[in-house]
Amino acid sequence: MKINTLFIDKTIPEDLEIEYLISKVTADPQWIENTKTVYDYINDADDPISKAKKTLYITSNKGAIIKECPGTSFYTCCDYTILHTGTFCTMDCSYCILQAYFHPPVLQYFAGLKTFSNALEKRFGQKKIFRIGTGEYTDSLIWEQVSLQPKFLIETFAKQKNCLLELKTKTNNIDSLLPLDHNGKTVIAWSLNTEDIISSEEKGTASLKARLKAAKRVESKGYRLAFHFDPLVIYPGCETQYKKVVELIFEYVSPESIVWISIGTFRFMPGLKQVIEKRFNHSTIPYGEFILGLDNKMRYFKPLRIKMYQKIISCIKEYAPDLLLYFCMEDEEVWEKCLGFFPGKKGELGHLLDKSAVTHCSLNSNLL
Amino acid sequence: MSDIFCEINSSDIDLADERYKISFLENDMGSLAESLKDVGLLFPPIVRPVNNKFIVISGFNRIRAHIHIHQVHNKKILVYKTDPDTSEYQCLLKSITALAFKRQLTQAELIICTNRLYQFIDEKQISQKSSAIFNTELSARFVKDLLSVGRLPDPSLELISTGHLSFKSAKKISCFEKDTIESFLSIFSNIRASNNKQLEIIMHIMEIAARDAVKPKAVFKNPEIQAILFDKKIELVLKTALLRTCLFEQRFPTVFRVRQKTREKIASIKFGTNIKFLPPENLDSQIYSICFTAQNFDEFQKNVQTLYSAMKSKSLKEIFNP
Repeated sequence: MKINTLFIDKTIPEDLEIEYLISKVTADPQWIENTKTVYDYINDADDPISKAKKTLYITSNKGAIIKECPGTSFYTCCDYTILHTGTFCTMDCSYCILQAYFHPPVLQYFAGLKTFSNALEKRFGQKKIFRIGTGEYTDSLIWEQVSLQPKFLIETFAKQKNCLLELKTKTNNIDSLLPLDHNGKTVIAWSLNTEDIISSEEKGTASLKARLKAAKRVESKGYRLAFHFDPLVIYPGCETQYKKVVELIFEYVSPESIVWISIGTFRFMPGLKQVIEKRFNHSTIPYGEFILGLDNKMRYFKPLRIKMYQKIISCIKEYAPDLLLYFCMEDEEVWEKCLGFFPGKKGELGHLLDKSAVTHCSLNSNLL
Repeated sequence: MSDIFCEINSSDIDLADERYKISFLENDMGSLAESLKDVGLLFPPIVRPVNNKFIVISGFNRIRAHIHIHQVHNKKILVYKTDPDTSEYQCLLKSITALAFKRQLTQAELIICTNRLYQFIDEKQISQKSSAIFNTELSARFVKDLLSVGRLPDPSLELISTGHLSFKSAKKISCFEKDTIESFLSIFSNIRASNNKQLEIIMHIMEIAARDAVKPKAVFKNPEIQAILFDKKIELVLKTALLRTCLFEQRFPTVFRVRQKTREKIASIKFGTNIKFLPPENLDSQIYSICFTAQNFDEFQKNVQTLYSAMKSKSLKEIFNP
């Protein structure tokens, strides 16, 4: 994590968590009273997004700590739960929606392990399965090198039986996780893409092989795994390249360790296109055959999405016929044509994923 | 530095020197001449003495109309004559303000004026003085845009003036390479499109070029595009429609093909003119809509029968189960 400016909210107590962060981030801490100082500092830059990636703001989460994934209208959602531990990312993927989602984007670390623990206790006490992830508004493991948070979360989840923790990443920051007693309740998930896309569009992320090597190492320590082919990018020769990625997954890890694989083609809020054109002028990913979807996001034209999904799914099925595959935000036609079924009822997809979570992570099966 | 109100011979005016001419709008000389004849010269032109001649700062049309009435070149005309020491910058200000305080300047005129002013003052100063010069406030950002557009080669100003090139499109192409700019100027010289359509054409060409890793000029040189642009038998509006279709096909080949196929299938079902069968927007949802109107029971029955016959159509089944 390359941070050159560190702001800390004055209201945060300087405890072990903060001392650890300060010791790991090389920049001198600036204790501030007002968040506006950070916003102004970032907004003053010619490229606020790049500046935000090097500016860390340690503060507390003043909003909801746990919330349901908003999903999107008209497409089937997986009923995921978000643990809001931080925002933004130090890596620089051209297609990242967070560039256009936050105004301005701020790399925030939400301190207060006790606060998270209290919020989680309420979920742990419920008679329901929850799949909880920290990788919605940030990369879960960019924080592994500088904070105690991932360790704390893994150990907290290890003590209960109805919630699964999914840590989603494009890094290979897993060293400190290896010796932990996770009790099978943590799934380490990698977003995967072809080598072409990783090198051209995912600046600062770990290479494909580095991600898979990391997956193999955590697998050897009993962690469960997940993979997310999201975003799939359509470009000449992509089918062969994605097939290679699938082959590589099963060279490195066993299908039995994989809780699920999600698949979703590149989609974006229309405003992101301008950001990509401005910040990544070499990138051609906004120039695919996109149409405006029913949720007002740009999506690949449906026949192209279906063709792409069918290829990649048939390839995964060759290696792991029983593996749970699901789409992130797709409609009935796509499900039917690519996976042969459609979890159309409210909560049906969530239930399928819960079942896999129970099976792989020894959660309480009575709660299904 | 006040100008002298005096009479000079119209033959002493060098109308060929258009260094202060701002307006491209050619007024109806006949009407102006009639008005001069009936009402007289209400606003005398402003001229500047240069080498025993006078050059026009403001009032080209009035002087031409005056000559037109009298059919001779040496008739006396009332003018404001500038002091010989009046600077080039002062003359320029007079030429702009004389017009700007009479009517709102067009975008082409604003471009000409700001680019001329830029020889003497910077963009910030132009913005600061804009109320006094242009009779309207121009932001520094807008002045910057006017200057960028003003640097475009010919015939960009003429295209802006005639409405073939919108200011937004001109601004957009002003940051491209020389070859690309020339290609776009050639395109807009040969079509007639609204601002949104122009921007769409620019966007599609730039995106096709970026996607295919070629220069935009290569897209412009595509034989199909050239054939549309330079076919003298096709009128401008039709050319625009053909060009847009051609570019859409290149930019979105699969979308184009599938839409085309769907349209053909719908046409083959022969619903007739009374029944409208519409595919979903962008073919992303699965909801097709069908509607018809009926004024009486017979019409209703006829439409239902047509729909019933359509159910046997292979094309209809293919539309729902592609």
